[in-house]
Amino acid sequence: VLEEEDLEDPLWNLEMALLESDVEMGVAEAILDDLRSNLIGETKSQMASTGDLVADALRDALLDVISVGQFDFEERIAEAEKPVTIVFTGVNGVGKTTTIAKMARYLEDRGYSSVLANGDTYRAGANEQIREHAEALGKRLIAHEQGGDPAAVIYDGVEYAEANDVDVVLGDTAGRLHTSSDLMAQLEKIDRVVDPDLTIFVDEAVAGQDAVERAKQFDDAAEIDGAVLTKADADSQGGAAISVAYVTGKPVLFLGTGQGYDDLDRFDPEELVADLVG
Amino acid sequence: MVLDNLGSSLRGTLSKLQGKSRLDEDDVSEVVKEIQRSLLQADVDVSLVMDLSDAIETRALEEEPPAGTSARDHVLKIVYEELVDLIGESTEIPLEPQTILLAGLQGSGKTTSAAKMAWWFSKKGLRPAVIQTDTFRPGAYDQAEQMADRAEVSFYGDPDADDPVQIARDGLEATADADVHIVDTAGRHALEDDLIDEIEEIDSVVDPDRSLLVLDAAIGQGAKDQARQFDDSIGIDGVVITKLDGTAKGGGALTAVNETESSIAFLGTGETVQDIERFEPNGFISRLLGM
Ligand SMILES: Nc1nc2c(ncn2[C@@H]2O[C@H](COP(=O)(O)OP(=O)(O)OP(=O)(O)O)[C@@H](O)[C@H]2O)c(=O)[nH]1
Ligand SMILES: Nc1nc2c(ncn2[C@@H]2O[C@H](COP(=O)(O)OP(=O)(O)OP(=O)(O)O)[C@@H](O)[C@H]2O)c(=O)[nH]1
Ligand SMILES: [K+]
Ligand SMILES: [Mg+2]
Ligand SMILES: [Mg+2]
Repeated sequence: VLEEEDLEDPLWNLEMALLESDVEMGVAEAILDDLRSNLIGETKSQMASTGDLVADALRDALLDVISVGQFDFEERIAEAEKPVTIVFTGVNGVGKTTTIAKMARYLEDRGYSSVLANGDTYRAGANEQIREHAEALGKRLIAHEQGGDPAAVIYDGVEYAEANDVDVVLGDTAGRLHTSSDLMAQLEKIDRVVDPDLTIFVDEAVAGQDAVERAKQFDDAAEIDGAVLTKADADSQGGAAISVAYVTGKPVLFLGTGQGYDDLDRFDPEELVADLVG
Repeated sequence: MVLDNLGSSLRGTLSKLQGKSRLDEDDVSEVVKEIQRSLLQADVDVSLVMDLSDAIETRALEEEPPAGTSARDHVLKIVYEELVDLIGESTEIPLEPQTILLAGLQGSGKTTSAAKMAWWFSKKGLRPAVIQTDTFRPGAYDQAEQMADRAEVSFYGDPDADDPVQIARDGLEATADADVHIVDTAGRHALEDDLIDEIEEIDSVVDPDRSLLVLDAAIGQGAKDQARQFDDSIGIDGVVITKLDGTAKGGGALTAVNETESSIAFLGTGETVQDIERFEPNGFISRLLGM
């Protein structure tokens, strides 16, 4: 029978392994606490070592966390009334705009038309950046002057889609940190005015402990339906995915795996857990 | 002192030591555990945290507190000294003509930091120019041009060119009458071999006085390998930490400094060109320990 002391070392090692994979500390500890209480009193079979038992239990626990709320994105788009409006949110520089460009390609590959709406009326070069993507992809871009109202731009995108039978509106937003109350209030307003069908939170797979804090704050300001983790090609351990799924209870839907338009992969929970636990 | 603003759990542990003149092993290991937690939550590399905490533990047990110093203050002093030892002083940035090359991961804040640094130099009375060599990211030219405009500094870029190395060469020539040349580069990460080759070429043409690695304060454990690769390729002389106006603690920068044997040069604290500060160790150490 497993006693508390038997678990101390293996659980400590696992905690360090999770931290090395960028799982946030509070999340790692919560997962390990569950493990501890599930394992204490379990009877060890003759074959399995305590370490193996713990690793198996961790694999299951991580899979539980990361599989939360998974839904078939393609099916959701197929079944939704058109136009489907998707707004992308997240902190500065994580890859929102690039993900929108990739998503336009992804949708086209599956037979859906889309229009891009640039709700980033703030950052230098934001209009030029998304315009270049739109031109390369052959998509229509709705944009206003710098300094304009972001909600109004995305709203115009929706009206354009309605008038022109476009299937999906991809609404970009300016990057912002969750510590800026003005900008978070602006995000709430966008959410209220546009009332998107889906809000996708974008973060980067290379993010560390802060992933939890920002996912929580963005979810509070404009409730998210799922997440995309970019820059997975930078050889990150992917623990940020665990953190985001755990605190929001929302699924990670895609991984960004490069800067090309086709570098958007369906997220596979089992694959991530295998990477994390081996 | 700087460590007054410690995270609540660390402060709690330390206050239990109040009044004690000697620490036993249990006291020390409790404090060391809390310091480990703070540093791990700040994204400092796990093995670096273990090395640091071992050093702190050994010293706290072996060194006699100087007469009149409480055990608590003695431990604090050791923690502080070990961190200062690692972080060091701000990267030296002489106020004289020079060329600075910026490098780093996609989206880390290079282009914004280039304009901020140019603004900083211009306030010091030098004439800076920003040279944009990013031919890959859509809108990179316009972004850098607009940011340079906001900083009211000279700018060179070529929206029609496609060779960053040639742009760097032309840019240095075209801005020859500027004192400080800040060369921005496209984002890249350690595994992109062709892009790593590219920045090595840019580095050899630009021949910078200083190469700075621009790191997002939120970067996780990957900071180590990234810093290692950039240092191997172009030699890193200093780190710029961006987005410190958020809640990320920036421990990745500590990892990078350790990995590249360099120091921290500038801090980015917002999206406008004025949101730049020179690095100052005390504030940063407080942040790492969870103020
Ligand atoms: N390696 C890699 N780079 C990516 C990926 N996704 C985006 N990027 C790059 O990351 C950088 C920032 O991407 P953007 O799309 O501009 O990010 P953003 O979130 O829109 O940025 P802001 O609008 O400034 O907040 C660009 O250089 C992109 O090419 C990815 O999956 N892998
Ligand atoms: N809040 C905040 N945002 C910042 C800071 N520094 C940069 N940013 C933002 O981060 C995003 C990315 O900055 P860029 O300067 O485009 O980053 P980059 O490294 O040049 O990106 P690539 O060229 O695509 O690799 C933009 O939205 C910037 O406005 C900072 O210190 N604080
Ligand atoms: K170095
Ligand atoms: Mg963007
Ligand atoms: Mg740039």
